[in-house]
Amino acid sequence: MPETRILLKHRDEPGIEDIETYERLGGYTALRKALGMERQEVINEVKSSGLRGRGGAGFPTWIKWDGIPKNTNQPHYVLCNADEGEPGTFKDRELMLKCAHQIVEGIIIAGYATLSKVSYIYIRGEFVESAKMVRKAIDQAYRKGYLGKKILGREDFDFDLYIHVGAGSYECGEESALMSSLMGERGQPRLKFPHAPLPVIAGAWNQPTLINNVETYSVVPHIIVNGGAWYASMGTQGSKGTKIFSLSGHIAKPGNYEIIFGMPLLDLVELAGGVTGGNLKAIIPGGSSVPLIPAEIAKDFTLDYEASQTVQYRMRTMRLPVVGSGGMMVFNDRTDIVTLMLRTAEFYAHESCGKCTPCREGTRWLYKILYRIVSGGGRPSDLDILMNICDGIDGRSYCALGDAAAWPIMGSLKHYRHEYEYWIEHKRSPLGDNFVPPVPNRLNLNFELLPAR
Amino acid sequence: METNGNEGGHRFSQKSIAQLDEIITHYPERRAAMLPALWIAQREYDGYLPPEALQEVADRLERPLSEVQAVASFYTMYNFRKRGRHHLEVCTCLSCAVRGAYEVMHKLEKELGISAGEVTVDGEFSIAEVECLDFCGAATVVQVGDQYFGNVTAENVDMLLDQLRNSDSHTPVELADALVKIMTPGGSEAAPA
Repeated sequence: MPETRILLKHRDEPGIEDIETYERLGGYTALRKALGMERQEVINEVKSSGLRGRGGAGFPTWIKWDGIPKNTNQPHYVLCNADEGEPGTFKDRELMLKCAHQIVEGIIIAGYATLSKVSYIYIRGEFVESAKMVRKAIDQAYRKGYLGKKILGREDFDFDLYIHVGAGSYECGEESALMSSLMGERGQPRLKFPHAPLPVIAGAWNQPTLINNVETYSVVPHIIVNGGAWYASMGTQGSKGTKIFSLSGHIAKPGNYEIIFGMPLLDLVELAGGVTGGNLKAIIPGGSSVPLIPAEIAKDFTLDYEASQTVQYRMRTMRLPVVGSGGMMVFNDRTDIVTLMLRTAEFYAHESCGKCTPCREGTRWLYKILYRIVSGGGRPSDLDILMNICDGIDGRSYCALGDAAAWPIMGSLKHYRHEYEYWIEHKRSPLGDNFVPPVPNRLNLNFELLPAR
Repeated sequence: METNGNEGGHRFSQKSIAQLDEIITHYPERRAAMLPALWIAQREYDGYLPPEALQEVADRLERPLSEVQAVASFYTMYNFRKRGRHHLEVCTCLSCAVRGAYEVMHKLEKELGISAGEVTVDGEFSIAEVECLDFCGAATVVQVGDQYFGNVTAENVDMLLDQLRNSDSHTPVELADALVKIMTPGGSEAAPA
């Protein structure tokens, strides 16, 4: 199956960063069309498209749009989550770098549909090159009258779009933490539904707030121009349209690939040129937060939100996602799973914001135990302890960072228990000494010495 | 550095004060400009945030110093110590790790004679290990100031160091300056500093 480029259609078009080129290729016609529609019609179009949030959770987009209170004078906000931080994912970076106008247009349409006046795009501080392109697109859109007062002559539609840059925190990609960070606080999450109102009722500054991912907003202009039915004609029952997957790791042609949902997992690996440096060992299909899939069973998986893996622990059966944010990492048979999981655990231990105990303590315990195994001090009981800690984090933390730290380790214990057992028994990798990733030689085991975050 | 006769040893230039005033208008509350104000401070205070910088942010946003410290210490891109003129941040997260990030890191440590987190004696370079920079397709990725360098290997990292030795660009100050411009409306049309 080939690629189907909708969002990335113009990625190689010279001069696409200029508004004139974008307009010549049909840019901002969606905004004009949307302004000719009733606000509810715009939302209905998004509803009939079946669009689901592209940030990783796959929440139906229209529910958020429709949930913003209507006919109220209360201020409310539109936020764009461009704090892409998931290991393995780099789609938003390319969308901002190459197709910034598409995002801006999508945000303006969302502002119109929800009667908002102010919007923010929260971009991670590392993405300087991409953020410069977004700045340029916004400045040009103001000049052309797509942003500002009385947009395209509409007396009742004023809309501003501001850029807020982050300063290095994975946690700020979580929506409630992002709003904390936007309001000038530490990037820590807040209580969520059902314990607290949804952001569409009380989000940033306690006002109704619509928050979507960069890729989600990028889809919106295409849905408005071509109709929701057109978008819904692609994909599977529960996953409509296209999705960008970022391929990296041991792969011949790394990069972003836009495909229709439902493509077999291995077809996409093939599309990206196949595995390099050996045979396929495992795939992490949707960013580091989803469990890996061993090569032996990879043929059973398709890429859509319906696909999942189950993990059994005691009385619980956990259904873990496959697609996630679309950051697909491919590993060859020289990859040592236990050190890979050690590196994953280190990531979550470093990025845990420290607010809730299961995640703050649990991610560090996972890291310490994995480190002990890899340094030759593993005990047979460690595997049960790992699973027990994962079970203690999963579903019990403030936000999904805790779940995301536990899932990959639970998945690896299910599929690669024998590799852990080999490490514990022989104090070395089943692959010998020459494997990737190597054990970092300067890991600081003494967490008390790490800066408190 | 111009001081503008600021009281209390404040160092923000007129330009920075104007930019901060503009950015504050983007938000319903003054304190929401905390992250932008810290970026401006990092530009004004030579690429890091000494206690005076935090105090100046606290004064200008009319917030307690403890709050400014609490926020600033949460984020990894705010520096509390002076970095090298070129601060090399090597991504060693999953995709980079399997494509030789640790070899790059060890080569840099050997070449520069420092460990991750340290600055060379001449103040020219500092290195750090960072989490995913989200440019995994070009692993191994090294961020230097406002620029990503992709496909870095233990073999070609010397070339990167040579290029940086002869360059005045990609400093921590330049990174902060680029981000402040990005947050300022019309920033794309502004003349380079």
